[in-house]
Amino acid sequence: MATEDSTGDQLGRSAALRLQQLKGQLFEVALVAATLVGIVSLLVLFAYISVDAFRPGTASPAWFLVYLGTLVAPTAAFTLYARRRPAVRTANAVAFAAVFGGLLLSAVTYAVVDALSPYDVFIYGVFASLPPMLVLAYDRTTEGQAYTGPLILVSILVGIGVAAVVDGPISGPLGIAAEWIMYFGLVTVPAALLVGTLTASRRGRRTGAVAGGAVAAGGLAVAGASIATGANASLLVVLFSAFVVPTGYVVRRSVRTNPAGRVGLAGPFVLLGGALLGAALVERFGIETPDTFLTPTLVLESWDGLTASNAGVYPQIVGSIIIVGFMAVLAFPVGIGAAIYLEEYAPNSGFRGRLATLLEVNISNLAGVPSVVYGLLGLALFRRTLGFGTGIVVSASGTLGLLILPIVIVSTQEALRSVPDDLRQGSYGMGASRWQTLREVVLPEAIPGTLTGTILALARAIGETAPLVIIAVATTTYSPPSGLFSSATALPLQIFAASANAKPEFRHGVVPAAAVVLLTLMLLMNATAIVIRNKYGRET
Amino acid sequence: MSNESDSGVGSLQRSGFVVRKERLYGRLIAASAGLTILVTVGIILALSGRALSFWSQISPIAFFTGTNWSPVIANSYGVLPLISGTLIVTIFSALIALPIGLAAAIYLSEYASDTARSILKPALEILAGVPTVIYGYMALVYVTPLIDGFLPISVQLVPAGVPILPEFTLVMPSLGTFNALSASVVVGIMIIPMVSSISEDALSAVPDSLRQGGYGLGSTKFDVSTRIVVPSATSGIVASYVLAISRAIGETMAVTMAMGMSPQMPYFPNVLRNLAESSQTITAAMVQIAGADSYGSGPTYEAMFALGMTLFAITLIMNVLAELVRRRFREEY
Repeated sequence: MATEDSTGDQLGRSAALRLQQLKGQLFEVALVAATLVGIVSLLVLFAYISVDAFRPGTASPAWFLVYLGTLVAPTAAFTLYARRRPAVRTANAVAFAAVFGGLLLSAVTYAVVDALSPYDVFIYGVFASLPPMLVLAYDRTTEGQAYTGPLILVSILVGIGVAAVVDGPISGPLGIAAEWIMYFGLVTVPAALLVGTLTASRRGRRTGAVAGGAVAAGGLAVAGASIATGANASLLVVLFSAFVVPTGYVVRRSVRTNPAGRVGLAGPFVLLGGALLGAALVERFGIETPDTFLTPTLVLESWDGLTASNAGVYPQIVGSIIIVGFMAVLAFPVGIGAAIYLEEYAPNSGFRGRLATLLEVNISNLAGVPSVVYGLLGLALFRRTLGFGTGIVVSASGTLGLLILPIVIVSTQEALRSVPDDLRQGSYGMGASRWQTLREVVLPEAIPGTLTGTILALARAIGETAPLVIIAVATTTYSPPSGLFSSATALPLQIFAASANAKPEFRHGVVPAAAVVLLTLMLLMNATAIVIRNKYGRET
Repeated sequence: MSNESDSGVGSLQRSGFVVRKERLYGRLIAASAGLTILVTVGIILALSGRALSFWSQISPIAFFTGTNWSPVIANSYGVLPLISGTLIVTIFSALIALPIGLAAAIYLSEYASDTARSILKPALEILAGVPTVIYGYMALVYVTPLIDGFLPISVQLVPAGVPILPEFTLVMPSLGTFNALSASVVVGIMIIPMVSSISEDALSAVPDSLRQGGYGLGSTKFDVSTRIVVPSATSGIVASYVLAISRAIGETMAVTMAMGMSPQMPYFPNVLRNLAESSQTITAAMVQIAGADSYGSGPTYEAMFALGMTLFAITLIMNVLAELVRRRFREEY
């Protein structure tokens, strides 16, 4: 442009400039449009699915007005109020996490334990948790060297093995005991121990014992009261231990540590109270409710291929949770171990360095292998080689575990890489060994990143369908899997199978509703991961 | 570990123990890293065993050059129709995702404010996180009728009156219930983040001095972005393209649900007809075989492994290619 400057042709120059500017602006607009087009089209499709599932058109305007008044407006007002005050906002977030996390935890625990039979879970739980506790107690009492870490692992495995042997003989006599006692042992006892130790660490041993005892006594009281009134004692015991106790604990802690934000604790209760009040008003005045497919039936009943209003996906939801949960047990230790080896142990040069490079390349290739191929691997490995039955939980979990292994490894590696080297050097300088540095310094720093990656891997696994189809997991079963070696089922499979049903109440009703359930599960996981990343995120 | 800091003798004695213990831990985690190699070996063994047994019954030449895939009825195992189906979806989804993904990457790397980036990046990641079975359902139930509302469109290539076969006019007919177009659209949407995130990494890795140099010479932001940053990041962008295409090739549920189960050789010369009709990809054929238990362990069952082997080979080659291209770009700066 130097020549144009000297000619002084101001008019021509400004026209050219304006053209340049216009071009730049148009380009930027095009870029924004391109960035948004995928997101917007997905949102439009989600809107179609939600409208089909929820059917807002069938509700009377009064219904919307009631919930606007009782639920939406108060919650929005409260959120706006909390946003402006950091202390209130923190308390609000903590309360939301405790209340809804507790509710979700209770529901999942009850559903999974109920499916697997509380007696069996209790036996396995006792045999898998007592030996490591004994090892820990032994470690406390003896000064000095012991392979405590490996011993804990071994003792858990031995405990599970023993449980597998004695499960048959014991579960008979144990069956005399009421079901709620099992839940009490499985949920209330750990909750009481947790509350007890947490309180003891802050306010002395005596207060801790009192707090733990109070939780246990509360659990017994709830069980007694529900038996007296004929309610479901097991469910109430779980709700008490996994919802009421954590909420109470968090509320109490928050009141103590964050008195300025005390009001924020009301957040989730404004939401829940609004929903209940709305429901009561709708009931009282006989307001026409929407003819929605997102009903309790959907999440509490089993599938019905003929009548859409009776169709539910309870077995599939529980099956998905069991598969993904057991998959996490199988895949995460291996994945995190492999990442630790590659990041912290593997040398950069020499034969083993080249081996590590080979491992890295191999992992990035595994990440690109299509999921159907993992299905074939699972088929060959579990059904042909190990001779497992068709489509059982172990095969499904194992197959998905192999599939997400590269994701877990890569995200854990990133988390480990973002831990500054100064910390490691500092720890070595204090005389700590490599493993001590890893356990006491590096891993605690890397936990948020690892957690984010593993939750995203879980979210990926819960929607995965193709490998499950290949290993022939059953689609429509009428009860959730009753054990790790019984036939599995999963929510995405039901959506796949039901998509062939062309009846409008299925195609534009129950199936979108099931899709909403699956999307909710997946988006909840993604949101949790993003929240953790934003809260503890470290700029590299 | 407070008891470690005892007297000198104690720590000396302990060190041998600590060394042994640490060696044990080191071996444990090295074993878990080694397991990943076993997974690859396992995939190759699992696929090759049955695939080779299949190819000993059906000659590989007949498999790779046959134009009829009809395992049950005609006992005919020609893979070309399936490859054609896979190619159709891959090409059209790439036509959607590659430009959009690159544009999104340029926006995120060069133009977006920090706030915009912190919202848009996770939002784009969600596109890849939605279960593919839901994409398939949306394609089947919502995208197809939505697009079908605009069809058919006929594009007159040759002036009217010229006597020519009807096949030579480009006509986009109405969509069938199962069609490749809706499948391509959703696969395109789902691979956008693959392109955008890897490309954005490549664009961000271009050193700022190059941009400053461009501005110093009087370039506009448009010029800097398109003539300096994008060309410097070519290899990273190419790598992202290859990975995205590899992902589209391996995509299963969306194409199975939206594109149907009828293997077809491609239509020529009216290529648009391929989009409007049902066909079958390699992956969909595998799902179909797996879904029908009745095939037992005959050649049809083993054909599934032969298809898997083909798919694995294609995606492996593409992934290695992407990795090689990416290596080059990493070394540049």
